[in-house]
Amino acid sequence: MYEFFEHTADIGLRVRAATLEELFAHAGRGLLALLVDEPDSVRSVQSLTIRLQSDSVEQLFYDWLNELLYIFETRRLLLGRFEVRLTGDLTSLEAQAWGEPLDPQRHRLGPEVKAATYHELMVQRRDDGWFAQAILDI
Amino acid sequence: MTQPATTYGPLEQVDEYCWRIPPTYRPGMRVPGLIFAHPSQIDKILADKSLEQVANVACLPGVQVASLAMPDIHLGYGFCIGGVCATDPHEGGVISPGGVGYDINCGVRLLRSNLRVDDVQPRLERLVSRLFGRIPTGAGQSGHYRFTYQELRQLMREGPAALIPRGWATQRDIDYTEARGCLADADPSAVSQRALERGTDQCGTLGGGNHFLEVQVVDQVFDEQAAAAMGLAQGMVCVMIHSGSRGLGYQVCQDALHQLRGVPERYGIVLPDRQLACAPVLSEEGRHYLGAMRAAANFAWCNRQLLMWQAREVFESVFEKPWSQLGLELVYDVAHNIAKPEDHQVEGHTKRVWVHRKGATRAFPPGHPELPPPYRPVGQPVLIPGDMGRASWVLVGQPGSMARTFGSTCHGAGRAMSRTEAVRRAQGRQIQQELSLRGIVARARGWRGLAEEQPEAYKDVDLVVEVVHQANLSKKVARMRPLGVIKG
Repeated sequence: MYEFFEHTADIGLRVRAATLEELFAHAGRGLLALLVDEPDSVRSVQSLTIRLQSDSVEQLFYDWLNELLYIFETRRLLLGRFEVRLTGDLTSLEAQAWGEPLDPQRHRLGPEVKAATYHELMVQRRDDGWFAQAILDI
Repeated sequence: MTQPATTYGPLEQVDEYCWRIPPTYRPGMRVPGLIFAHPSQIDKILADKSLEQVANVACLPGVQVASLAMPDIHLGYGFCIGGVCATDPHEGGVISPGGVGYDINCGVRLLRSNLRVDDVQPRLERLVSRLFGRIPTGAGQSGHYRFTYQELRQLMREGPAALIPRGWATQRDIDYTEARGCLADADPSAVSQRALERGTDQCGTLGGGNHFLEVQVVDQVFDEQAAAAMGLAQGMVCVMIHSGSRGLGYQVCQDALHQLRGVPERYGIVLPDRQLACAPVLSEEGRHYLGAMRAAANFAWCNRQLLMWQAREVFESVFEKPWSQLGLELVYDVAHNIAKPEDHQVEGHTKRVWVHRKGATRAFPPGHPELPPPYRPVGQPVLIPGDMGRASWVLVGQPGSMARTFGSTCHGAGRAMSRTEAVRRAQGRQIQQELSLRGIVARARGWRGLAEEQPEAYKDVDLVVEVVHQANLSKKVARMRPLGVIKG
């Protein structure tokens, strides 16, 4: 699904999934696991629609992660469940995302994530599905 | 004193603490690389890719003299952390956001005081607790100061001088801040809506990562004259603040990296590493980034000013005296992620170059006109935040910096251990307790924050400082020991 890897002062996120849609969903979940100590404690009580348009699937993946960070930072909204649909050329997406506002009583925050970077950014189709990787600056 | 030439991988030893990457090391290098380091650090430097990053920066158009790295060198984004380079706009010199960093104008300020350890020790728990309660730290925290977008634009244009009429800064605070807290020609209109949204409630917040606010004591004075000029003395309690431009700055960097996709190619610039995305200083794109970068830098100075103001108020409540009576004056504020236009001697001529300091601090020597008058005899204070649980340092700039590193020195200890490794090692340990055994009161949002920043995760700051001291980049003035720390 997703895992973190070492990168000196930052953190790397690797995601694997059968479909590209699931890849984006797992990436969102992975990001949540970095933002809060117990991602399972985030309830799905609020939903929103996220629409993004990019010029490549890698850029879309990068925009997706940064959009989730932006939503968290400006609206204090933690999102943990996603239904993602991508356009045929894999450069646009529309997603339903569920989560809840940050509750300091129940959610213990992890590191402050500045951004998902272009460093070692990768989205690849492989024999057994899809793989993506991004380094997050923290 | 000449040393026999010794090779350490591709490195040639220049002198005891200086190592050269010859320009023949990689095609495209316009100048050599120069790494300031202790011999014991060389193996590590050869093992990670930071040496490659120094060589890559040497390929940038307009780069002058050498691509430099300070002894806190470690892997970064495009530029290594601890990286310094200067580019000449009249030679097609470029500006590169990777040479500044995501956290534009991350930096440090130091307050002195009339308090001594014995004054503070009995109230230390209360002091740290109140600092932690008052000052927002970590992710997802709103600040106590709110600004409209119009007010934010004013902060970005003017820096903390704009806070004087509001009663959150004094003129003296401004005078003792690098650049007086304001880079000219800031362009708030170049800062995106998204950056404004992120910054609107974050001015006066600490942030996470390696940011901290520390109550310290001056453990040892090395230069009496310089210490006296700064109002520092052995046994004095001080406050050190390490923070930057918050989400506003991170977004400005992100926006710039996005906008610079495909731009180097348009100017015929061939990059050895895509992360060195750049544009000529004298270009539309270069100007746009510089306008936004300066705006973010000015915002960061406002942030550190408000952090200091909140700290002063907490001290007032704990010691029941006005902060001015407690002597909580600003010693200095330095930026260590920034790019600035400065005059430097290059091959016998004075040139105005763009100095990128990515995890490196300006270190102007005695006599430099930009220094506040009391510091002109001794040099510019350089504030080196150490790692949590160990020492921080105050240095002063020395003539060697102007001669060798475009007026630059190190910025801190640098990470030796990755964050995930640090967290793994900390699992099962009680970081807070360990610090407490050393007499340090620490408060953080979560144990992960403490674990990621545990002292072992950082290189030895004493070693880094020794190198810059011996290389005559900056001289030791005082070593500080932490008493209490708050972080995200």
